[in-house]
Amino acid sequence: MAIIEANPAGAPSQRLALEAGDTPAKPFGVFARPTTSQGGWKSWLTSVDHKRIGIMYGIGSLFFFIVGGSEALLIRAQLARPDQKLLSADLYNQVYTMHGVTMVFLVVMPMAAAFANYLLPLQIGARDVAFPRLNAFSFWAWLAGSLFFNSAWFLGGGADGGWFNYAPNSGVLFSRSHGIDFYAIGLLITGIASLVSAVNLIVTVLNLRAPGLTWFKLPIFTWMTLVTQFLLLFALPVITVALFLLMFDRLFGSNFFDAANGGDPLLWQHLFWIFGHPEVYIMILPSFGIVSEIIPVFSRKPIFGYPFMVFSGIAIGFMGWGVWAHHMFASGMGPMSVTAFSLSTMFIAVPTGVKILNWLATMWGGRIKFTVPMMFAIGLVTMFTIGGLSGVSHAFAPADTQQTDTYYIVAHFHYVLFGGALLGLFAGFYFWWPKAFGYMLSESIGKWHFWVTLVGFNLTFGPMHVLGLQGMSRRYWTYSADQGFSMWNMVATIGAFMIAVGLLIFFANVVISHRAYKKNPVDIGADPWDARSLEWMIPSPVPEYNFDEVPEVTELDEFWHRKYGHTEDGRLVRIAETEDVVQKAGATGIHLPSPSYWPIVLSAGFPFVGYGLIFDYWWAVPGAVLMVAGILGWILEPSTDPEAGHDHDDHGHDDHDGDHAALDAGTDSPAELDAGDATPVLAGTAAGSEESTE
Amino acid sequence: MVRSAVVGGLVGLTLVLTACGALRDNSDHPLTTLSPQGIQAQRIDDLVTPVFLVAGIVFVLVEGAAVFMIWRFRRRRDDEDGVDEPVQTHGNPRLEWAWTILPAVLLGVMAVFNVQTIWKLEQRDANALTVEVYGQQWWWEYRYDLDSDGEPDIITANQMVIPAGRQIALEIRSNDVIHSFWIPALNGKKDAVPGRTHSWSLEADKPGLYQGTCTEFCGLSHAYMRMEVKAVSAADYDKWTREQTEPARTPVDATPKDDSDDSLVLTGFNEFKSQCATCHQVNGQSYKFEKETDGKPDPDYGGAEHPLTAGNAPNLTHLMSRNRFAGNLLPLYTTDDEGNLVPDESALGEWLRDPKALKPMAPDENRGMPNLNLSQDQISALVAYLTTLK
Repeated sequence: MAIIEANPAGAPSQRLALEAGDTPAKPFGVFARPTTSQGGWKSWLTSVDHKRIGIMYGIGSLFFFIVGGSEALLIRAQLARPDQKLLSADLYNQVYTMHGVTMVFLVVMPMAAAFANYLLPLQIGARDVAFPRLNAFSFWAWLAGSLFFNSAWFLGGGADGGWFNYAPNSGVLFSRSHGIDFYAIGLLITGIASLVSAVNLIVTVLNLRAPGLTWFKLPIFTWMTLVTQFLLLFALPVITVALFLLMFDRLFGSNFFDAANGGDPLLWQHLFWIFGHPEVYIMILPSFGIVSEIIPVFSRKPIFGYPFMVFSGIAIGFMGWGVWAHHMFASGMGPMSVTAFSLSTMFIAVPTGVKILNWLATMWGGRIKFTVPMMFAIGLVTMFTIGGLSGVSHAFAPADTQQTDTYYIVAHFHYVLFGGALLGLFAGFYFWWPKAFGYMLSESIGKWHFWVTLVGFNLTFGPMHVLGLQGMSRRYWTYSADQGFSMWNMVATIGAFMIAVGLLIFFANVVISHRAYKKNPVDIGADPWDARSLEWMIPSPVPEYNFDEVPEVTELDEFWHRKYGHTEDGRLVRIAETEDVVQKAGATGIHLPSPSYWPIVLSAGFPFVGYGLIFDYWWAVPGAVLMVAGILGWILEPSTDPEAGHDHDDHGHDDHDGDHAALDAGTDSPAELDAGDATPVLAGTAAGSEESTE
Repeated sequence: MVRSAVVGGLVGLTLVLTACGALRDNSDHPLTTLSPQGIQAQRIDDLVTPVFLVAGIVFVLVEGAAVFMIWRFRRRRDDEDGVDEPVQTHGNPRLEWAWTILPAVLLGVMAVFNVQTIWKLEQRDANALTVEVYGQQWWWEYRYDLDSDGEPDIITANQMVIPAGRQIALEIRSNDVIHSFWIPALNGKKDAVPGRTHSWSLEADKPGLYQGTCTEFCGLSHAYMRMEVKAVSAADYDKWTREQTEPARTPVDATPKDDSDDSLVLTGFNEFKSQCATCHQVNGQSYKFEKETDGKPDPDYGGAEHPLTAGNAPNLTHLMSRNRFAGNLLPLYTTDDEGNLVPDESALGEWLRDPKALKPMAPDENRGMPNLNLSQDQISALVAYLTTLK
């Protein structure tokens, strides 16, 4: 595809004329594309707009946050007092497994994907991602996999082997329900979605940056998202292999993990954690990016040590591959391996620590505005610090043999994933909500949300450090009164329900703020926070085509530098009024990628194939039909809808990948043209091509 | 201001230290990791205590800095955007290198002790006593080869008896899924993985009872897969091995002074043979009680050495020498009105009536003890017999 900028000056683009191809307008009438990209809910099903897809990821992840959160409440209710029988052991095992998988794959990852999809093109000055239809496919495939995975609840029970799902307990001999089949196939489907998305976003950042936006002017969120996508690109194939082996063991009687028949249970552990540890950074780095955007805005200072922030993120990305076996210090892999992984794990704390200190240094000497996003961001810095420190304590392998598989670990990773990832993501919700929807979330209700969540979170997970050190193991459906765990479990349960109240406050905030806006629609303008990066230069909510005119970038924090300059002694002075700098959404004739039916059709096929594998092969037939139809339709549909209401010239439908930025600026640098020319076939055939005309 | 901060800090520190002291108390917390009772656990504790201390200092510094900055650099009410703006610092490479390198050096120093401890925990004494440990759903079996002839002389379950002050070399295996052997007071944990033998060690400084629990998720009754180590003096350990190698008492041995009803015991013995013996071993009797054997425990009783999901159940030869049964979950003894320790017949009876009600299991899938639908008479007879197995 190519999203090509209408030349703002109205002059014909030479490159367009040069590269225009000659594609039949309607190769197969039946495969015409949907014509409306706006309008009712139906237009969302076929939308390829990265912003709508981002919003759908957000809604999906919040929905599953309710599901996974309810599972968490069931766990905490069961453990509130000793010897409770609220849940049976069997049901408890399903609930805690589904809680873990849901929170990792259906909440944190897609919530980060929501921000990546919405913001990445905006932060780099692009009109969309590189492959818009693939982007829609990623979302629908993720949703299909998620719903498929959760449908296990209604088809014999959820997975009961833990999210880590160690063999051979995950074999049919020990888990006869289909729960683990749903786990394997469901995660394979969401894995396809994530892999496609990773490629898409990497290509987007590589090829679609605005003119002048060189690597070291990229916003930190874009950097961290890019690192995350590379982690996904390399980690997902590993879990895919592991899940395939599991599926073959369970469904077709192979023996990859069966020691009695020459398999090795530890093979699963290594494969799982080679994926599983980078996965931790996949979940946390986007939030690191988010707070790296928020803290400078509300400290009113640039990020402290931009190169250190970028390189520490990249270092975490690299080192994250060398620490996986620290999940296996008790697995019996031998003291030499233990030593190696123990040392690598200790030193991954260094780049993480650098980030925390640089955030603090950004706040130092600032003029901190305690808005809700800033409070959540500071929440991440302070709470993640706790998770990081407890993490260092079990990098010491001998200490880990006492701590692993106890609640100390549960406390640790919830401080990382809730205190880190989720607080960061909620900071992002409050920060970018006005950009996406055109109104602010209520600050006063948001502060309630923050404090209730923070207190509830610490009540829930703080005591778990103590419980773990006192010897309470994880994944116990109950415990006895004489084990001395009763008091702190009750405290943790109270905390968990506080977190739930916090989440309800958030949803109430959304409803109340939305109603207030409907009643009294106040234009908040493009830049309600006096922020720094490009997405704040364009109106809120963002018009479908993003930028009237793709900005030419000369500085890190380009938008900020258009508003503010420095005096000689480093004092900040305003050099332009915000209204004079921002874009006004006045562009016309910008041709955007047309919507498409096929991503959702193709995605809808996956679950049927899954049911076919599990229950009866006949179910795979409709799945195969949908998938073949989806792929054929995708290939054969016109690259863009010829009937779309734009002034067409006869350039027709060309397959060139447009480096629209270069086109737009009219100051094509040779390098950027090369980048654009390097991918036309890939771009054109994989995602269709769109172009602008005029 | 400064003084109150110092006072507050001292009060806080005292509270924290008191709390840490309280955590080290193991009287209410039988599984605590903070009260080491043997050399291995002590080594781990010696390593982790300074780590906690350093982490605590870093925690106070970082969180203190954050709180300080939140207070010191907050926006004032009359600050005006574009006028009262902070100095725009972009970074300070020297400072940043410092706080990159400093933690790395600190960690480097701590790494030395870490590596030392890892390898020290691998050391085995020449005179260590070897005990084979088998994990299975959902109980632990221990095998002692006293004469080193390759055949176990004692097979017991749930409670491991060891001499205090002597290193125990464990050979940990699993018969089904992965379990993890963990006696927190004596050492960290080590997984029992099917198809592999893992070497681990533990040692108790003093005689005592040390609780443990399975810590690798192993299915339905993971929470109820408990065990204990009973450390005794060397002399008591020798006495224990002599008793354990004696053949099982059969009703013929029962004398009136056992004050049990001989005929009831005999009925129970017969019930045992017909109902229990396909899985539970009593030394001196072959599988299904077809014939008498030399009195040594059979390591392959019911096909136990072959990968299985059931067929192997705790050896009951000297059941009543232990404290608990059913994966160390339920008591074998209780105190009567006069405070004497007597067999807990009600717990045994309840278990026999419906094992699944007390411990989640999947007997239909050959995992765990089935409900044999025994009558009250059968249960009474079985309990009478079982409580003679001393």
